[in-house]
Amino acid sequence: MAFVISAYLIAIVLFGGYALTLAARRRLIAELSDAARPSPDP
Amino acid sequence: MRLLLTLSLALMLTGLTWALALAPTEAIQGPPQRIMYLHVPAVITAYAALAVVCVASLLFLWRRDPRWDRLALAAAELAVLFITMTLVTGALWGRPVWGTWWTWDARLTTTLILWFIYVGYLVVRAWAPGERGARAAAVIGVIGILDVPLIHWSVILLRTLHPQPTVFRPEGPALPVSMLIPLAINAAAFLTLFLTLLTLRVRQERTLARLVEILEGGA
Repeated sequence: MAFVISAYLIAIVLFGGYALTLAARRRLIAELSDAARPSPDP
Repeated sequence: MRLLLTLSLALMLTGLTWALALAPTEAIQGPPQRIMYLHVPAVITAYAALAVVCVASLLFLWRRDPRWDRLALAAAELAVLFITMTLVTGALWGRPVWGTWWTWDARLTTTLILWFIYVGYLVVRAWAPGERGARAAAVIGVIGILDVPLIHWSVILLRTLHPQPTVFRPEGPALPVSMLIPLAINAAAFLTLFLTLLTLRVRQERTLARLVEILEGGA
Protein backbone atom coordinates (compact mmCIF):
# COMPACT_ATOMS: atom_id res chain seq x y z
CA MET A 1 0.00 0.00 0.00
CA ALA A 2 3.03 2.30 0.54
CA PHE A 3 3.56 2.49 -3.23
CA VAL A 4 -0.08 3.46 -3.80
CA ILE A 5 0.04 6.20 -1.15
CA SER A 6 3.37 7.47 -2.56
CA ALA A 7 1.85 7.64 -6.06
CA TYR A 8 -1.12 9.69 -4.81
CA LEU A 9 1.16 11.96 -2.74
CA ILE A 10 3.40 12.58 -5.75
CA ALA A 11 0.33 13.46 -7.84
CA ILE A 12 -0.69 15.98 -5.16
CA VAL A 13 2.86 17.44 -5.13
CA LEU A 14 2.86 17.78 -8.95
CA PHE A 15 -0.55 19.49 -9.03
CA GLY A 16 0.49 21.65 -6.06
CA GLY A 17 3.70 22.66 -7.84
CA TYR A 18 1.76 23.66 -10.92
CA ALA A 19 -0.70 25.63 -8.77
CA LEU A 20 2.29 27.49 -7.25
CA THR A 21 3.52 28.51 -10.73
CA LEU A 22 0.00 29.81 -11.49
CA ALA A 23 0.04 31.79 -8.24
CA ALA A 24 3.50 33.23 -9.04
CA ARG A 25 2.29 34.36 -12.47
CA ARG A 26 -0.77 35.90 -10.83
CA ARG A 27 1.53 37.96 -8.59
CA LEU A 28 3.57 39.00 -11.63
CA ILE A 29 0.39 40.10 -13.41
CA ALA A 30 -0.61 42.16 -10.34
CA GLU A 31 2.82 43.86 -10.27
CA LEU A 32 2.75 44.57 -14.01
CA SER A 33 -0.81 45.93 -13.70
CA ASP A 34 0.41 48.38 -11.05
CA ALA A 35 3.30 49.42 -13.28
CA ALA A 36 1.01 49.84 -16.30
CA ARG A 37 -1.50 52.01 -14.41
CA PRO A 38 -1.04 55.70 -15.37
CA SER A 39 0.39 57.79 -12.54
CA PRO A 40 -2.00 60.39 -11.09
CA ASP A 41 -1.58 64.00 -12.23
CA PRO A 42 0.62 66.07 -9.89
CA MET B 1 -14.80 28.39 -14.79
CA ARG B 2 -15.75 27.93 -11.13
CA LEU B 3 -18.28 25.29 -12.20
CA LEU B 4 -15.56 23.40 -14.10
CA LEU B 5 -13.24 23.50 -11.09
CA THR B 6 -16.00 22.34 -8.72
CA LEU B 7 -16.95 19.53 -11.10
CA SER B 8 -13.32 18.47 -11.41
CA LEU B 9 -12.75 18.44 -7.63
CA ALA B 10 -16.01 16.53 -7.04
CA LEU B 11 -15.03 13.93 -9.66
CA MET B 12 -11.52 13.73 -8.20
CA LEU B 13 -12.83 13.08 -4.68
CA THR B 14 -15.32 10.46 -5.94
CA GLY B 15 -12.71 8.79 -8.13
CA LEU B 16 -10.11 8.76 -5.37
CA THR B 17 -12.50 7.24 -2.80
CA TRP B 18 -13.73 4.65 -5.30
CA ALA B 19 -10.20 3.73 -6.41
CA LEU B 20 -8.76 3.40 -2.92
CA ALA B 21 -11.68 2.02 -0.92
CA LEU B 22 -14.39 0.55 -3.15
CA ALA B 23 -12.67 -0.95 -6.22
CA PRO B 24 -11.74 -4.63 -5.86
CA THR B 25 -8.13 -5.59 -5.16
CA GLU B 26 -6.58 -7.25 -8.21
CA ALA B 27 -5.85 -10.95 -7.52
CA ILE B 28 -2.27 -11.16 -8.86
CA GLN B 29 -0.78 -7.69 -8.35
CA GLY B 30 -2.58 -6.82 -5.11
CA PRO B 31 -2.85 -3.19 -3.85
CA PRO B 32 -0.18 -1.69 -6.21
CA GLN B 33 -2.63 -2.21 -9.10
CA ARG B 34 -4.64 0.71 -7.61
CA ILE B 35 -1.95 3.00 -9.07
CA MET B 36 -3.69 2.28 -12.40
CA TYR B 37 -6.44 4.74 -11.38
CA LEU B 38 -3.81 7.52 -11.50
CA HIS B 39 -1.48 6.19 -14.20
CA VAL B 40 -4.04 5.58 -16.98
CA PRO B 41 -6.03 8.85 -16.48
CA ALA B 42 -2.70 10.75 -16.44
CA VAL B 43 -1.67 9.28 -19.80
CA ILE B 44 -5.14 9.86 -21.33
CA THR B 45 -4.99 13.52 -20.22
CA ALA B 46 -1.41 13.88 -21.47
CA TYR B 47 -2.53 12.66 -24.92
CA ALA B 48 -5.46 15.12 -24.88
CA ALA B 49 -3.01 17.93 -24.00
CA LEU B 50 -0.68 16.85 -26.82
CA ALA B 51 -3.58 16.89 -29.30
CA VAL B 52 -4.35 20.48 -28.22
CA VAL B 53 -0.64 21.43 -28.61
CA CYS B 54 -0.55 19.90 -32.10
CA VAL B 55 -3.76 21.50 -33.40
CA ALA B 56 -3.01 24.91 -31.83
CA SER B 57 0.59 24.81 -33.18
CA LEU B 58 -0.64 23.97 -36.69
CA LEU B 59 -3.17 26.82 -36.55
CA PHE B 60 -0.47 29.19 -35.28
CA LEU B 61 1.91 28.22 -38.09
CA TRP B 62 -0.89 28.71 -40.60
CA ARG B 63 -2.59 31.88 -39.27
CA ARG B 64 0.27 33.45 -37.19
CA ASP B 65 -2.36 34.39 -34.62
CA PRO B 66 -0.76 34.67 -31.13
CA ARG B 67 -3.95 33.31 -29.52
CA TRP B 68 -3.16 29.84 -30.94
CA ASP B 69 0.40 30.14 -29.68
CA ARG B 70 -0.79 30.95 -26.16
CA LEU B 71 -3.12 27.93 -26.23
CA ALA B 72 -0.29 25.66 -27.45
CA LEU B 73 2.07 26.90 -24.74
CA ALA B 74 -0.49 26.41 -21.97
CA ALA B 75 -1.32 22.90 -23.21
CA ALA B 76 2.38 21.99 -23.54
CA GLU B 77 3.04 22.88 -19.90
CA LEU B 78 0.15 20.69 -18.83
CA ALA B 79 1.27 17.90 -21.17
CA VAL B 80 4.66 17.87 -19.41
CA LEU B 81 2.90 17.79 -16.03
CA PHE B 82 0.76 14.79 -17.00
CA ILE B 83 3.58 12.91 -18.77
CA THR B 84 5.71 13.39 -15.63
CA MET B 85 2.86 11.97 -13.57
CA THR B 86 2.60 9.01 -15.98
CA LEU B 87 6.33 8.25 -15.70
CA VAL B 88 6.47 8.62 -11.90
CA THR B 89 3.33 6.59 -11.19
CA GLY B 90 4.56 3.98 -13.69
CA ALA B 91 7.85 3.64 -11.80
CA LEU B 92 5.97 3.33 -8.49
CA TRP B 93 3.77 0.62 -10.02
CA GLY B 94 6.70 -1.14 -11.68
CA ARG B 95 8.80 -1.50 -8.52
CA PRO B 96 6.45 -3.86 -6.61
CA VAL B 97 5.11 -5.65 -9.71
CA TRP B 98 8.17 -5.98 -12.02
CA GLY B 99 10.83 -5.66 -9.31
CA THR B 100 12.36 -2.56 -10.91
CA TRP B 101 11.67 1.19 -10.97
CA TRP B 102 12.79 1.51 -14.57
CA THR B 103 13.74 -0.63 -17.53
CA TRP B 104 14.73 0.40 -21.07
CA ASP B 105 11.61 -1.24 -22.41
CA ALA B 106 10.13 0.14 -25.69
CA ARG B 107 6.99 1.60 -24.05
CA LEU B 108 8.90 3.29 -21.21
CA THR B 109 11.67 4.58 -23.46
CA THR B 110 9.31 6.07 -26.06
CA THR B 111 7.34 7.74 -23.24
CA LEU B 112 10.56 9.19 -21.81
CA ILE B 113 11.41 10.50 -25.31
CA LEU B 114 7.96 12.14 -25.41
CA TRP B 115 8.72 13.86 -22.08
CA PHE B 116 12.05 15.15 -23.44
CA ILE B 117 10.38 16.45 -26.63
CA TYR B 118 7.87 18.58 -24.71
CA VAL B 119 10.41 19.69 -22.09
CA GLY B 120 12.42 20.76 -25.17
CA TYR B 121 9.35 22.69 -26.37
CA LEU B 122 9.29 24.62 -23.05
CA VAL B 123 13.08 25.18 -23.13
CA VAL B 124 12.79 26.68 -26.63
CA ARG B 125 10.01 28.99 -25.38
CA ALA B 126 12.09 30.07 -22.39
CA TRP B 127 15.32 30.66 -24.35
CA ALA B 128 13.84 32.22 -27.47
CA PRO B 129 10.91 34.43 -26.52
CA GLY B 130 8.92 36.16 -29.23
CA GLU B 131 7.78 35.16 -32.69
CA ARG B 132 10.91 33.15 -33.61
CA GLY B 133 10.76 30.97 -30.49
CA ALA B 134 7.02 30.53 -30.91
CA ARG B 135 7.49 29.27 -34.49
CA ALA B 136 10.29 26.88 -33.53
CA ALA B 137 8.23 25.55 -30.61
CA ALA B 138 5.18 25.14 -32.86
CA VAL B 139 7.22 22.89 -35.18
CA ILE B 140 8.26 20.77 -32.16
CA GLY B 141 4.61 20.72 -31.01
CA VAL B 142 3.48 19.30 -34.35
CA ILE B 143 6.32 16.79 -34.86
CA GLY B 144 6.35 15.65 -31.21
CA ILE B 145 2.94 14.02 -31.42
CA LEU B 146 4.36 11.49 -33.91
CA ASP B 147 5.84 9.74 -30.86
CA VAL B 148 2.33 8.90 -29.56
CA PRO B 149 1.54 6.16 -32.15
CA LEU B 150 5.04 4.76 -31.49
CA ILE B 151 4.21 4.56 -27.78
CA HIS B 152 0.87 2.89 -28.51
CA TRP B 153 2.27 0.33 -30.98
CA SER B 154 5.45 -0.35 -28.99
CA VAL B 155 3.71 -2.91 -26.77
CA ILE B 156 1.89 -4.51 -29.68
CA LEU B 157 4.77 -4.84 -32.15
CA LEU B 158 7.66 -5.42 -29.74
CA ARG B 159 8.22 -7.75 -26.81
CA THR B 160 8.00 -5.52 -23.74
CA LEU B 161 7.69 -5.78 -19.99
CA HIS B 162 4.83 -3.27 -20.09
CA PRO B 163 1.46 -5.00 -20.60
CA GLN B 164 -0.56 -4.61 -23.81
CA PRO B 165 -3.48 -2.12 -23.82
CA THR B 166 -6.30 -3.22 -21.49
CA VAL B 167 -8.70 -0.31 -22.07
CA PHE B 168 -8.26 1.01 -25.63
CA ARG B 169 -8.26 -2.13 -27.74
CA PRO B 170 -10.39 -3.13 -30.76
CA GLU B 171 -12.20 -5.93 -28.91
CA GLY B 172 -13.18 -3.64 -26.01
CA PRO B 173 -11.75 -3.13 -22.52
CA ALA B 174 -10.32 -6.18 -20.74
CA LEU B 175 -11.12 -4.75 -17.31
CA PRO B 176 -14.18 -5.72 -15.25
CA VAL B 177 -16.90 -3.05 -14.84
CA SER B 178 -16.00 -2.72 -11.13
CA MET B 179 -12.59 -1.37 -12.22
CA LEU B 180 -13.72 0.43 -15.37
CA ILE B 181 -16.16 2.73 -13.54
CA PRO B 182 -13.61 4.24 -11.09
CA LEU B 183 -11.10 4.44 -13.94
CA ALA B 184 -13.62 6.39 -16.08
CA ILE B 185 -14.44 8.72 -13.15
CA ASN B 186 -10.75 9.44 -12.57
CA ALA B 187 -10.19 10.02 -16.30
CA ALA B 188 -13.13 12.47 -16.35
CA ALA B 189 -11.70 14.18 -13.24
CA PHE B 190 -8.27 14.58 -14.83
CA LEU B 191 -9.72 15.82 -18.12
CA THR B 192 -11.92 18.44 -16.42
CA LEU B 193 -8.96 19.52 -14.27
CA PHE B 194 -6.90 19.83 -17.46
CA LEU B 195 -9.60 22.04 -19.03
CA THR B 196 -9.77 24.19 -15.88
CA LEU B 197 -6.00 24.69 -15.68
CA LEU B 198 -5.77 25.26 -19.44
CA THR B 199 -8.43 28.00 -19.30
CA LEU B 200 -6.70 29.65 -16.32
CA ARG B 201 -3.27 29.52 -17.96
CA VAL B 202 -4.49 30.85 -21.31
CA ARG B 203 -6.20 33.76 -19.54
CA GLN B 204 -2.97 34.54 -17.67
CA GLU B 205 -0.93 34.52 -20.90
CA ARG B 206 -3.50 36.81 -22.59
CA THR B 207 -3.37 39.30 -19.68
CA LEU B 208 0.45 39.17 -19.60
CA ALA B 209 0.63 39.82 -23.35
CA ARG B 210 -1.70 42.84 -23.01
CA LEU B 211 0.31 44.23 -20.08
CA VAL B 212 3.62 43.83 -21.90
CA GLU B 213 2.06 45.58 -24.92
CA ILE B 214 0.90 48.51 -22.74
CA LEU B 215 4.26 48.78 -20.94
CA GLU B 216 6.30 48.57 -24.15
CA GLY B 217 3.98 51.08 -25.84
CA GLY B 218 4.40 53.50 -22.96
CA ALA B 219 8.19 53.14 -22.78
